[in-house]
Amino acid sequence: MTTQDATRWIARLFQESEDALTPATPRDAVPAWDSLGELTLMADMDEKFGIVLTDNQLRVMAKVDDILDVLRNNGKITD
Amino acid sequence: MRFLLVDEILELTPGQHIRAAKTMDPGEELFKDHFPGFPVVPGVLLTEMMAQAAGKCLAADDAGQGRPMLARITAASFREWVAPGDLCVIEARIRSRRARFATAEAHVDVRGRVVAESSLLFSFVPHDRFASAWRDEVLETFQKKARG
Repeated sequence: MTTQDATRWIARLFQESEDALTPATPRDAVPAWDSLGELTLMADMDEKFGIVLTDNQLRVMAKVDDILDVLRNNGKITD
Repeated sequence: MRFLLVDEILELTPGQHIRAAKTMDPGEELFKDHFPGFPVVPGVLLTEMMAQAAGKCLAADDAGQGRPMLARITAASFREWVAPGDLCVIEARIRSRRARFATAEAHVDVRGRVVAESSLLFSFVPHDRFASAWRDEVLETFQKKARG
């Protein structure tokens, strides 16, 4: 998966249009990235990528790139 | 009407799988509106049947996380009309369970045909948020019977 694919996946997850998010988009600019959004993120990360997010990881996520970092660190982003 | 959308648990493997049954009473007032002359069980109630059944499956394997509560209907589809009085057999499988959430796949069958299916996400709410006297009678009845 490329960074662009992953960014689109994150956009769909948070019910944004596919080109609405960039790695620099802050969490505050994504309305659906709330407590339910966190749960959705945790569940989809687990189900789609086998990545179990910790509460600590969730707490420090402040922008889209922080989610991408998790995917990168787990070898899910190839570019 | 009370919001109890599982009448009986038929099979249960706690935390993994459940089969349950629900029959909507044709006398329920909602069928006067949904729809006049053509009463059908609303899709939201079929979804709630699946959520309640999956919730009981999770609650039966309580790891101290709290009570499972539906947090998201990830997907839901309805294939056939369900009439009041139809026996709905609800089946749910827990796909994943973590400290803060669980996911389930569920479907409802009527006369052996799938009429509705869903993917559900649950969060857990601490037990002390609920009335302390609250008991899940349907689950307790099944567990009592299973213990013999």
